[in-house]
Parts: sequence; structure tokens; C-alpha cells
Amino acid sequence: MVTTASADFLALEGLSADELRSWIDEAEAMLPFATGARPIASPAPLAGKLVANIFFEDSTRTRCSFEIAAKRLGGDVTNLGASGSSASKGETLLDTARNIEAMGVDAIVVRCAISGGALMLANALDVPVINAGDGRHEHPTQGILDLLTLRRHFEEMHRSGSFAGRTVAIVGDVMNSRVARSATHGLVTLGARVLLVGPPTLVTKDFESLAGAGAGSIEVAHALDPHLGHLDAIMMLRIQLERAAGGAIAADYRSQYGLTEARAARLPERCAILHPGPVNRGVEIDDRVMDDRRLSRILTQVTAGVATRMAVLRRLLAGR
Amino acid sequence: MTSLLSSLLLRGGRIIDPASDTDAVGDVLVHDGKIAAISFRHGALSKHDAERTIECHDRLVVPGLIDPHVHLREPGGEAKETIRTGATSAARGGFTTVCCMPNTTPTLDTPAMIEFVRMRAREALQARVYSVGAATVGRKGEQLAPMAAMANIGAVAFSDDGDGIASAEMMRMVLSVVKSIGRAFMQHCQDATLTPGGVMNAGPLAARLGLAGWPAVAEEVMLERDCRLNRSIGARYHAQHLSSGGSAEILRRARAEGQPVSGEVAPHHLLLTDAACDGYNTNAKMNPPLRTAQDIADLKRAVADGTITVLATDHAPHTQAEKARDFSSAPFGIIGLECALGLYVKALVDDGVIDWPRLIAMMTLEPARLCGLDARPELHGIGTLSVGGIADITIIDPTSPYTVDLASFASRSRNCPFDGWPLHARATHTIVGGDVRFELPDERGMASVGSGRADARGHHG
Repeated sequence: MVTTASADFLALEGLSADELRSWIDEAEAMLPFATGARPIASPAPLAGKLVANIFFEDSTRTRCSFEIAAKRLGGDVTNLGASGSSASKGETLLDTARNIEAMGVDAIVVRCAISGGALMLANALDVPVINAGDGRHEHPTQGILDLLTLRRHFEEMHRSGSFAGRTVAIVGDVMNSRVARSATHGLVTLGARVLLVGPPTLVTKDFESLAGAGAGSIEVAHALDPHLGHLDAIMMLRIQLERAAGGAIAADYRSQYGLTEARAARLPERCAILHPGPVNRGVEIDDRVMDDRRLSRILTQVTAGVATRMAVLRRLLAGR
Repeated sequence: MTSLLSSLLLRGGRIIDPASDTDAVGDVLVHDGKIAAISFRHGALSKHDAERTIECHDRLVVPGLIDPHVHLREPGGEAKETIRTGATSAARGGFTTVCCMPNTTPTLDTPAMIEFVRMRAREALQARVYSVGAATVGRKGEQLAPMAAMANIGAVAFSDDGDGIASAEMMRMVLSVVKSIGRAFMQHCQDATLTPGGVMNAGPLAARLGLAGWPAVAEEVMLERDCRLNRSIGARYHAQHLSSGGSAEILRRARAEGQPVSGEVAPHHLLLTDAACDGYNTNAKMNPPLRTAQDIADLKRAVADGTITVLATDHAPHTQAEKARDFSSAPFGIIGLECALGLYVKALVDDGVIDWPRLIAMMTLEPARLCGLDARPELHGIGTLSVGGIADITIIDPTSPYTVDLASFASRSRNCPFDGWPLHARATHTIVGGDVRFELPDERGMASVGSGRADARGHHG
């Protein structure tokens, strides 16, 4: 078993504040290249490298984002999709990944429905593994892009990119969200106060323990309205209808937790609105709120996503 | 049962027989598969009385250990374990009798299947194997299985282990039937509507790992329901592998009411918490799941005050390939026969929860009574050391340190989280029907005298 923690990118849990900051710095440095505003210097860092995207769950944005990131860095990409029951067991995932590794790829980007699936591959493979979302566990590149988006927002609004003392609400189906877990680990480690808001069926007190030794704090709340006026950022989660089986989301979800125009109007002027996408318009967030150029950072997140994935691919692959 | 060595003297051991409240140094003489004499008078029995003498100084001589809850996987799961390998594993752990659960493929839910196990058990020479029949057809909880006919052919108890009986009406019927045929029903307490996709204890770690939780209340709700249903029926009801302090409390109350209900624990629920699941360790995935330090403390208290009366293993073999799957899709369960005794001593005796005689009672007399083994003519005296009774005896070295070595296990499987654990109590000899079926390798020639045979293990012609 060859596992070198530094060779994989699996989770934000366990990364120090310094490590997080260096990932955010590197992602930020990639921003001009991500948009194509500046061409990457020759020779390209990933020239001659082949990245395999193994996506056992439907995803357009994240897969595309990794693909663009690799290509901007001069690498080649091959995409593997699979769905249905054949991909539901870890065995299949591992067998597929072993086959792809044997074909001589330089990195595997994996998205799967299995919590712990990326770690399982990393433990079994020599090639670097990048977690593009494993079940309900973590989505670490999403976490870094969220942190980058927020840091730039704070710099713009407060002239300081510090997370200390900032309050960030994460609203919705926390239970089933890997985005929420990665963001929470990152935010708490960097000193933010994280409010996890949602119905008691989807946000339990157990989540307060995610804080670990982080400098920040986590609070669980089941009502959104009392907190609206004190937020520096609000991250709306996608309602994961495919994962929230068992009738845990009631018909009053929007009226209790949706970011409606009325609620958005009560947010502080400098509060950023984030959403990992894809958005259920009119459910967790209203159309006009989402398209509000003043506060919505949703498209900024998308650009930061390419930059983040460039940073990760570059660090794991360049010169390897 | 015939015996290779027609007489055997176990000399100078600490004889613990909970049935007769015996705990004293003495000698046991075995003749023709039965206990011929027990003497506490030094020198009353000598090695001239027997063809073989085993010196038992500083050893415990106790009734053969009985495990009422093992999974031997045959038929249908022979890659994990067979009745033969399971029986060998049992003997190595000091068990002379095990009762295997019916969640095989096909299910042990007909007299023919019970007969199949009996036939295979006859060939599995290392330990006695009895079967627990399914209470409902296919363990689906929808149709009563032919329990009376299975009991007649040898099923010692009934259970749908692996699943609880979901329907209260079906449960009521099962209790009525087992009551009428004088057998125990063993429940796997899990209200499945509370555990959708659940793979580990519901709590902070499950939240962090993104794994679906299996909360203690799912066990407690079913146990509470069953005790209520059984109030007017009075069947012999047994709750398997209790994992939560709340369950112990429910059982304590039902027993105080005078209900004929009992409960068991498994070693892992007394020694490990859900923290063992971190890193997605599938060898810490059990059903019911590992819980909290508070649950461990509550379960120990229930053992100490007599609420929990039976110590089992829930020996649940799985192949390495199955356990190499991701946490959610890997199967539940671990093997336990070959380390259970040492683990129980660590959890209960070293910790002062109970003393040696009570530990032995919970691993011999209590399971024998639960499964009605003591009422079977061919097992006269089982669970005890009685003159005239069958010579099922375990000799234990209670104090020599050793390390659990998974590689040395006789089980076909290796799914066990206790590899490398330092323990100090284990069986040195397992004697079934007067025959030494297992002998710790380095014991031969050291502690034993007068054995002319290179291998004392039984091989029936």
C-alpha cells in the first residue's frame, strides 16, 4: 500500500490554517489563467500529463471544471462516466480505478457516491488521487474555491481577507452535503464562526463536533430568520432530493429556509451569497437573488473552481 | 460419543463449576467420555488412575465454554467459514459447543436444513455444533417457519438474526409458538425504519465521515415493544448482542417484572467505541454498531448486576474481499471465537465487573439453559462439571501474557479488529466428550504427562 498524504488531495479536514492559506494563495494565483486572461507560460506545467476524470455520479460542472483546469495547464484529459447499480459498490470503483491506473494515467480525479471512496482509492493506488466529491463526506476543491471566493469578497468589502470573527451561514441539507462538510472544516480552521442552518432532520447537534481544534466555532440552528442580519456570507446548499430519501424535506422548506427576495433584503449590505450549484431556482434560492450582481458570488465561485483545480493539479503533477 | 483416550486426569487445577458453586483446587477424572470423579483431596486421584494426565497447576478447569451465537456460514457462504472450520475455530477458543444462526443460503428454516447442519456437525469433530432455526420463512418476517418440526429434529432455539421481526403481529405469533414448544426466541433488536442505510453509530463521527447513522434507539424501541408483547405470553425471550445502555435499562425492568427474558453482549461492545470506525475501518463495522464509552459503562453495569446473563461472540466471518469494500457496502460483523475468552477477561474480570466464577457461568451454564442444551439427554451435565455428566471441559491459563495473532486463527476469515491486542487468558485445552480436541501447541510435552500420542486431537474412524 503506497499512500503519501501529500500526493493526494482528499479532504480539508486535518489541513492546518497555513496549509489552507497556501492552497487559497495558489488558487488565487491561477485566477488570471483560469479565465484565459493570461496564457500559461511555456512549457506548460502539465505538458505530456494525462488526467483521468472518473465520475461515478452525474456531474457536469465539476467534471468540466477539472477538464478545463487540466487543459489550461497543457494536460490531456480522459473522461470516464458510469452510473447505475454496477457502480454502486466500492469494489467496482476500485477495480475501475486500478484499470485506469494500469493504463498509465498521471492522476485520477474521482467523484463517487461512496463516503470514503476517494480515500479507498488513494490507499490502493500509486497515482495521485483527487477527491471531486465522495458521497456525503467531502468535496475539498469546492471547499478551497469557496474559501477563495469568500476571502476575495472580504478583502473587497472589509479590506481584510481574514476569516477571524466572520460569520458564515451554511443553509440547507447539511446532513447529505459534502460541500457543507468541506466548507465547515476550512472555515473553522481559519477562524470563522460557522452557522449550520436547516431543519432538525438534516442538521443535527452532532455537526458541532466538526469544529475539532479549529480556531473558529460551529453553531447549529434550525431557524434562519434570527441570523440574517448578522451574516458576512450565506452559502445556500442544493437540496439533494436524490440523497434525502425518507421524506425528510417538508413542503415548508422554502418558507423556512429558502433565500427569498424578502430574506435577501434583510441581509447586511456586505453579505456575500454563495451556492455550489446546480441551483434549484425558486426552492433554496430565488431567481432574482441568485442573479443579484451586487451580492451573489455564484459565478465567481465557478471561475474560482477552475483556478482551484488548476492549483491542485499543478501542485500534485507538475515535475512529478 | 467415543473417545480416543478412555481416561484422562486433570490434576491440580482450580476447578470452577458455577452450577455447584464450586471454586477450589482439585482433580477431575474423565472416563469413557464422562466425568468419573472430582476430588478435592490432595493425592486421592493419581496418574495411575488414567492413561493420560494433564497437569493443571495455576490453570482453571471449567465446564466447556458454550457460545449461543455464531455464524458458520454453511450452506452458501463457505468462502467465509464452514461448519468444520467454525468448529475448529471454536475449539481453539475454548468453546466445546456453539449454536449457529440460520442466516445462511438457503436459510435454516425447514427440518431438512436443520438435518443438514446436524449431518455436517457430525463431521466437524472439534466442537459440538447445534443450530438455531429461523422463526419465519426466509427470515422475512412474513410467514411462520415450521418451528415445532425444526425443534423436533434438533433446532435448539429460534431467531431471525440479522434482522429483527418488524411486524408486531408476527412477533406476537412467534412468541406464542416458541412458548408452546418450549424453546427460546433470540431477537436481533433493530427497528429498521430507524436505520435506513445505517452503517455505524449515529453521532458526531458518523456526521463527520458522512455515513448514515444506526441509532441506539432503534435497538431500544424493538426491545421495549417485545417486552411489552411478551408480558401476556411469557415466552423465553432473549435479546442478542445488546449495544446500548438504554437496552440494558429496558431489560432490567422486564426482568424485575419477572419476565423470562435475558440478554447477551459480545466482546466488541464492551471494548470498542464507534471511534474505531474512523478512517472508514470496516473491521469496526458491526450490527448493531459500536457505540459510546457511556454505553460500555452501562453494559458492564448490567453484566455486574445480573441484567445481562449471557456472553456470546456473534462470530461473523467475512472474506477479505468483502471487508475491503468501502465502509457502506462492506458487510457487518467480525470473528470472535478465538479471542473472546481473553477479551471478556480483559473487559470484565480485570476491570472488576465480575469474578471468574460468574464469567464462567455466563459462558457455560447460562447459554446451556438458554438453548435448552441441559435438557438434551445426549448432553447430560452440559454447562457443569458433574460426576456422571459429559466430559466437556475447558482448561484455561488465566495469567500468561500473549498477543492476539490473527494469522494463527483457524477460522477461514480474518475480519477482526483485535489483532495485536495484548491479552493474558486463553484456553490451553478444549475437551469434548472426554477427548482433547484442542491443545495449545506449546502445551504439549510441557504440561502434559503420559500422552504417548503425537496428536491428541480426535479423528474418528
